Amino acid sequence: MIEAARKGSAAAFAELVGTYRDGLLRFLLTRSASFADAEDALQDTLINAYRYLHSYDAQWRFSTWLYRIAINNAAKLKTADTVELGELADEENDPLSHCIRHQDRQNLWLSARRRLSDEVYTAMWLRYVEDMSINDIAAVLERSLSWTKVNLMRGRKTLEVELDNLATDVKSKAYG
Amino acid sequence: MDKLAKRLREDAAHIECAVSDELDDRIRASLENIKPQQPAEPRRSARPPAFWWASSLTGVAAAIVLIAVLNLQEPEPAIPTTEPVAQQLVIPSIEWQAETAVLVSPLEQEFEDLQSDLKKAEEALREDIERLF
Repeated sequence: MIEAARKGSAAAFAELVGTYRDGLLRFLLTRSASFADAEDALQDTLINAYRYLHSYDAQWRFSTWLYRIAINNAAKLKTADTVELGELADEENDPLSHCIRHQDRQNLWLSARRRLSDEVYTAMWLRYVEDMSINDIAAVLERSLSWTKVNLMRGRKTLEVELDNLATDVKSKAYG
Repeated sequence: MDKLAKRLREDAAHIECAVSDELDDRIRASLENIKPQQPAEPRRSARPPAFWWASSLTGVAAAIVLIAVLNLQEPEPAIPTTEPVAQQLVIPSIEWQAETAVLVSPLEQEFEDLQSDLKKAEEALREDIERLF
């Protein structure tokens, strides 16, 4: 399919990326200021991936390469009116809040966005949602293996504390 | 799977978003209008291989001629100096009015303590990383 797409078959490429589109949109949504921005970033990601498909190196997973492009596109879309991840605390305007199905508890990814840096948040997402290996995450973030391991561990420690805090809040609310 | 990983997966599954038909049409239309770039072919050298041999030999010949010309020239007579250079330099003498502080022993102790702390922290970090991954 990759070879057909490289030769100019848009249909083959659309089929190739079909399995990744929803996951990519969800990932981009967590990094965008609006749903429209996330959709634009996805469109740009797929167009760039198709245009530069010849540069894809088969030693990496295709998803690793796509996520690398997606991160670059999301960064390009960060205009003056776009805020940093940690500043998206206003749930009214946060596109991620609107897409979260009703839960009895606080969604940990919303807390993660406030607590973690952009890169650590991305590393955590790729690890625990996309099931990427440490090697792949390091490749996506263009960081060393040791940096990736240490920052994943830091992210985990931060979120473990956050998880405990959320559990305490729930208990205190339950007991009035 | 540990508690945190489980919670992160569950909470990610609660984020509902999918590519709409409208966006799908937009993406497909964009893809139809562009062509993937083809890898650039390696540039062919405009010069024949013999050129590099010829230029290398010319360079070597020029170097030999230059060495020969420089060695055939008579060396210039050395002008004797009346005074050694070292003697011409005047080093101002500075009188330090300070007492020597005996700080070596506490600093060494501090340094050893810090090294020990660092080693402990490094071991703890390594254990954590090994445990997690």
